[in-house]
Amino acid sequence: MNKKFLSFLTITLLLFFQGVTGQDKNVSGVVTDDTGSPLPGVNVVEKGTSNGTSTDFDGNYAISVDANATLVFSSLGYKTKEVGVNGRSTVNTSIAEDASELDEVVVTALGIRKETKALGYSLTEVDADEISTVKTPNAINSLQGKIAGVNISQNATGAAGSSRVVIRGASSLSGNNQPLYVVDGIPIGNGNNGSASLWGGSDGGDGISSLNPDDIESISVLKGGAASALYGSRAAGGVIIVTTKSGKGQEGFGVEFSSSVTFDKVNTDLQDFQQEYGQGVRGVRPGSQQAALEAGTSSWGEAYDGVSTPQFDGVSRPYSYTGNNVDKFYRSGTTFINTVAITNASENLTYRLSASDLTNEDVLPNAGLNRKSFSINSSAILGEKLTSNVNAKYIIEKVQNRPRLSDSPGNANFSVALLPGNIDVTTLQPSTNPDGSERGFSNNTFSTNPYFAAYNFNNQDVRNRIIASTSLRYDILDWLSLTGRVGIDNDIIRRTSVEPFGTAYKPLGGINEEERRYNQVDADLILAAEKNITDKFAISALVGANNNHVKSENLFLGGNDFIVPGLEDIGNTVSQSRSREYSERKIGSVYGSLELSYDRWAYVTFTGRNDWFSTLSFPGKTTPNDDFYPSINASLILSDALNLPNFVSFLKLRGGYSEVAGGAQDPYSLALTYEIFGNPIQGQPLGRISGSTVPNANLVAFSKNETEIGLDMRLFNNRLSLDFAYYNNETTNDIVNVATSEYSGFSGASANLGKVSNKGVEFLLSGTPIQTKDFSWNTTINGAYNEGLVVATDNVDSDVNLDEPRTQNVRITHIVGETYGTIVGVSYERDDNGTIVYEIDGDGVPRAVEGERKILGEGVPPLTVGFTNSFRYKNFNLNFLIDGKFGGQIFSGTNTILYGTGLHKNTLEGRENGLTVSGIDVANGQPFTTTVAPEDLETYYGEINDIAEEFVEDSDYIKFRQMSIGYSLPKKSLDNVFLTDVNVSLIASNLFYIKRSVDNIDPESAYTAGNSQGLEYFGVPSARSYGLTINVKF
Amino acid sequence: MKKSIFILMFALLFVGACDDGFEELNVNPTKPSQVAASNKLTAIIKFISSERYDNWRAGMIYQSTMMQHISTTAGYWSGDKYTWNRGYASSLLDRYYGNAIKSIEDLQFQLEEESAPEEMKAIVRILRVFAYSRLTDLYGDVPYSEAGKAVIDGIFLPKYDAQSEIYPDLLKELEESAAALGTGTSEFGSADVVYGGDQAKWKKLANSLMLRLGLRLIKVDPAASQAWATKAIAGGVMTSNEDIFYLQHDADNKNGIGEVFTADSNPRMSKTFIDFLQGGNDPRLPILAARRSDGSTAPEDLIGFPNGLDSPMLLELTGEDNTDAYAEPNRSIITGETTPMIFQTYAEVEFMLAESNVRWGLAGDAATHYNNGVTAAMKHLSLYGEDAVIADEDITAYLTANPYDAANAIEQINTQYWAATFLNEYETFSNWRRSGFPNLTPVNYPGNVTNGTIPRRLTYSESEQSTNPDNYAAAVAAQGPDVLTTRVWWDAQ
Repeated sequence: MNKKFLSFLTITLLLFFQGVTGQDKNVSGVVTDDTGSPLPGVNVVEKGTSNGTSTDFDGNYAISVDANATLVFSSLGYKTKEVGVNGRSTVNTSIAEDASELDEVVVTALGIRKETKALGYSLTEVDADEISTVKTPNAINSLQGKIAGVNISQNATGAAGSSRVVIRGASSLSGNNQPLYVVDGIPIGNGNNGSASLWGGSDGGDGISSLNPDDIESISVLKGGAASALYGSRAAGGVIIVTTKSGKGQEGFGVEFSSSVTFDKVNTDLQDFQQEYGQGVRGVRPGSQQAALEAGTSSWGEAYDGVSTPQFDGVSRPYSYTGNNVDKFYRSGTTFINTVAITNASENLTYRLSASDLTNEDVLPNAGLNRKSFSINSSAILGEKLTSNVNAKYIIEKVQNRPRLSDSPGNANFSVALLPGNIDVTTLQPSTNPDGSERGFSNNTFSTNPYFAAYNFNNQDVRNRIIASTSLRYDILDWLSLTGRVGIDNDIIRRTSVEPFGTAYKPLGGINEEERRYNQVDADLILAAEKNITDKFAISALVGANNNHVKSENLFLGGNDFIVPGLEDIGNTVSQSRSREYSERKIGSVYGSLELSYDRWAYVTFTGRNDWFSTLSFPGKTTPNDDFYPSINASLILSDALNLPNFVSFLKLRGGYSEVAGGAQDPYSLALTYEIFGNPIQGQPLGRISGSTVPNANLVAFSKNETEIGLDMRLFNNRLSLDFAYYNNETTNDIVNVATSEYSGFSGASANLGKVSNKGVEFLLSGTPIQTKDFSWNTTINGAYNEGLVVATDNVDSDVNLDEPRTQNVRITHIVGETYGTIVGVSYERDDNGTIVYEIDGDGVPRAVEGERKILGEGVPPLTVGFTNSFRYKNFNLNFLIDGKFGGQIFSGTNTILYGTGLHKNTLEGRENGLTVSGIDVANGQPFTTTVAPEDLETYYGEINDIAEEFVEDSDYIKFRQMSIGYSLPKKSLDNVFLTDVNVSLIASNLFYIKRSVDNIDPESAYTAGNSQGLEYFGVPSARSYGLTINVKF
Repeated sequence: MKKSIFILMFALLFVGACDDGFEELNVNPTKPSQVAASNKLTAIIKFISSERYDNWRAGMIYQSTMMQHISTTAGYWSGDKYTWNRGYASSLLDRYYGNAIKSIEDLQFQLEEESAPEEMKAIVRILRVFAYSRLTDLYGDVPYSEAGKAVIDGIFLPKYDAQSEIYPDLLKELEESAAALGTGTSEFGSADVVYGGDQAKWKKLANSLMLRLGLRLIKVDPAASQAWATKAIAGGVMTSNEDIFYLQHDADNKNGIGEVFTADSNPRMSKTFIDFLQGGNDPRLPILAARRSDGSTAPEDLIGFPNGLDSPMLLELTGEDNTDAYAEPNRSIITGETTPMIFQTYAEVEFMLAESNVRWGLAGDAATHYNNGVTAAMKHLSLYGEDAVIADEDITAYLTANPYDAANAIEQINTQYWAATFLNEYETFSNWRRSGFPNLTPVNYPGNVTNGTIPRRLTYSESEQSTNPDNYAAAVAAQGPDVLTTRVWWDAQ
């Protein structure tokens, strides 16, 4: 065991058990609030001593004190009150709620509630309204633009797709950089269930999307290591703690009903294609059906003249622009979310039961999802000292036809976008020929008829997920408690995907059947103490142990070549394959925390955790399989400690240092393994090395250390406030896949060589310029700037290659000394003056010469800003959010292909009289000027489309993200009906761009939620949404 | 203090249990730590046949069209029009190193570790020579001595070896392998899905490959070429169609070329090839070709399609751009997914013997070898099934009409070689570059990148420029620009 940890534990324990002295007079009483309701849990301390107790459920307390003592009553959220005993044996008192001192209570690591002023780190808590007013199928997306330092990327993957959430920059070069999600104290899986890549595919959704937005009470974002260090190795990406609604705060029995409907319409304004030239090749329109099929997506034809011209189906139609195909193909999407909840709070039992249904029809025809979720959240007082909580959620999610993305086969978005303007996409219906085969519009069989992709391809998945937890707390003494907590996340996804019989690129079709089982069990045992040592000095401490066990199993059946057409069953295939993947890992941990506070204005907290990893254990391994993660943070409330001018309502300085991060995420990566694969040939089994990564037997845990300082300042009676944070972190020993030449036989090798640093600032400036009884205006601006830097990759600082798009001329790459995830691609060859070099081909056409691959941009925008305004007038409220990201770039695969096929507006130049091109002739190094004939433009632009440099553009945007206009029925109008609360909101999201740099695409349209950000290639076009939300309570 | 001791013990209890059983847990229950050499051998044979990916791109799209076996109007068939698609061009490298080469190096290592019998090692060495000869013939200088060894030797960035150094080593390997092989069955047994473990057949293959690689040197080092041919013939080459080096595919392990034809309706039979078959009244014609529109194999219905045309050009030329009237590879016989993948035939060997006789007087009589070669080439089509059996009298008639022509021997022999290696386009392309025959007329498609000449090699993987830049640059510096027109070492002008 780690020595550092042992000594830490000893100190913690010693501090913990200090004796207390004797008492004289027995005093008892009841503590109530302003309204006379008894208050449980109020600390009652004899002033100047460590003698204290706290009130029970009915507000009663009893304590032995000196007859002349002064009692100090304190409770979170209430003003502290001192009352002299003066010989009395009964002291009843009431304490007032404290709004001005801002003793907000937030949920911190391990679910511990703390006053914000005690925190030596940055933590943002978002309440239910932010998530449940403007709802999205994936609730986490509602946070976009709202929290400084939390970078959320919604991708072009459809409504059921996954989101990428990165806090304070990515810290691992190739590992998972998304935060740990903890729901009601239990970590849940947020694995990605498949994503699109170079060769296509679809996004399989993520784990966090299972949560029903109406069930969420609050979300706490632990941004830095100091906040999340108690989660040790799992905190490298920060932690997001979700607390679901319980019956607490309710009186008696209640019913809540919430309903929302949202309509989505594809934003066709983004596209600006040429509308002057039609289908054809080399400046010539098709003269026959065959030529039209041959031309396919090529828009290198003639200028529109309305003359009847053959198309793919042999029908001749006027050669003219037929309108926006995107508008015609995609439908209006709809999302209905209905939730009913019952709450009940009685003396010993509080619960909330909810049922919810989310039905989405995606903008892509025939795609959508249905998610039903049932949840129970209950707490019970089982005895004087024993309380329990039981939480359970059951989620059934069915997704129909996850959109195929990226590469063209089966990707409807690809064909719709590229269809020449004289072809009306609706003429591609019906999607099949009389014999049931795909009715193609191109001889390139990989250009799938979009209706065939939407209606004939079949892709279904059903997810059954149970997230449940129970905890039991025993109060050993009034200052000492023992809590046991165990939770389970059991997630089973069953997926069927069919490429039907008659698919042009796969005539006999095929079917995949897949079952993914995921199971996580997490158990904690925590001994916690809270003790006032003197009236000014208090201690709160805990020690705990945790065991986390994750198992996953994927079963896969593949069948190719259907025998009986139309029967889509695995048994009806000529050849079949099967596979099973299994992985299991455990992390064992012990941890402890010690918070010392002085006079409620100075706080210091130490934490420590040691994690042992099964993924780093292997027989004979000599390097350690564990790591220790300490942290310290402190907070000083200067406004309480010093005499500051009156306009300063609150001023806090904070700071912290931490070490977090973790072991290898995947098991079995320490040793080379083999496999028997495929089906035997001539009865002979096939064997080979499994995988294409060179394993490393000596991997150790990586670690991330972070320093953060911050300031929380509130002025003019809290009308203006500023929260500022600066952090600086470095990840060392990151497990990287060192790039190898493919010719080495392997595509990479694992090594503990990565180093990444992130430093940045976050600010939240909020103000209430107007606050009257009837009208108020709140405005906040949050912003974050993160500078992520790749410090080291391997012993020779090789580049680390991430994904490349289908064009294969550009790749997301980590380069030492550059920002995280740079876009590296083929540039123009230029001479010393920067003039582009061309090769003049046999026909005299200048062809841009491919220059070296160089850095063309950074995939992750470093600057994010959100601007929120909320206005309230009587019972009306208006909120809107504008957000923006700046400083990043995106490679547009769509624009690349648009150049090649002649649909990009820029390719209009020269169509009539030829294009004058000047440059340097590679053959002799001399300048030239030539005119490219209209029929050769296809060759000229076709060559440019190999040059990635041309298609990397700024991804900056400012978006009008969200708006809601709400009305709450006045309470008094509800007096005579059974309703207690009625609220109606008109909502809208993704309304328009105030600024957008990239042409033809949405700057937020990456096709993967993985680390390779900054690549776009024919995802689902983005949509505007409008809708209505109604919340009713009775 | 009692309490604190209790708590300390409680904490330590957890600590002690923190990593119990972790070592066992991290052993993958689904993967073995080694597999039998025989299982690897079978996989290697499958890997050299490879998959649709590279057979489509390097094999069909580039080489079959450059060699004018196949033609098409489809723009992405870059070889038909001498345009450059980097990803297509490098496809063999992209598949072979990660599959065949990686497995071969691993199996060689295992056989050494296990002190396996020399004949087993020899079989793997022959397959290694075959795999590397395909790579170096197509690309020139390639990683050889350091390739596929990331695990074995920790070499992540292999250097490119000069073809002039690879070739002598390949030939030496064949010589030593042939010497190590005796008679009887090797321990690979039926895992050897080529020869069922028959050592004698492997020995013939080693010598036949030696003859092939020896003849490749004819332009760059005629003396070495003759020496290796002499050695190969003395060692004993293939003697019948029973010796053919091929893999029989099945529904679970499909022929990659068959899969290409399943997915792609664009390829037509090249006019060059159909005209050759028509001209000689070749009985292979109705087996290899069929009319696209209706599958007719009547010789008068079989029209070859010219190379180097796209649809508009065709329309301009003929007033018609539908190509269904032209012949395509016969889909009912030779393009199936369960057909054999042929690597070297007895017919090729006979033609090489004929050439060796013409050049150096080796191996008896050129006319006999020519006749044997043509006969074998026609007869081995029966590997494609009963419909591909050619009657003996048809072969005799063909040979009577097209007898050995001593005055024009090298051209005639190598043109027959070209016809006999249809679909084994790797070999067709190499032998054409070596021999210069058949005399193909290049196309001059607008926008081609070779100045209207037939490419002389294919190009390296684009990824090498970023992952292995120094070695890539050294290779380009040594061999010449990484373009289609650069000649490999043995393809001297």
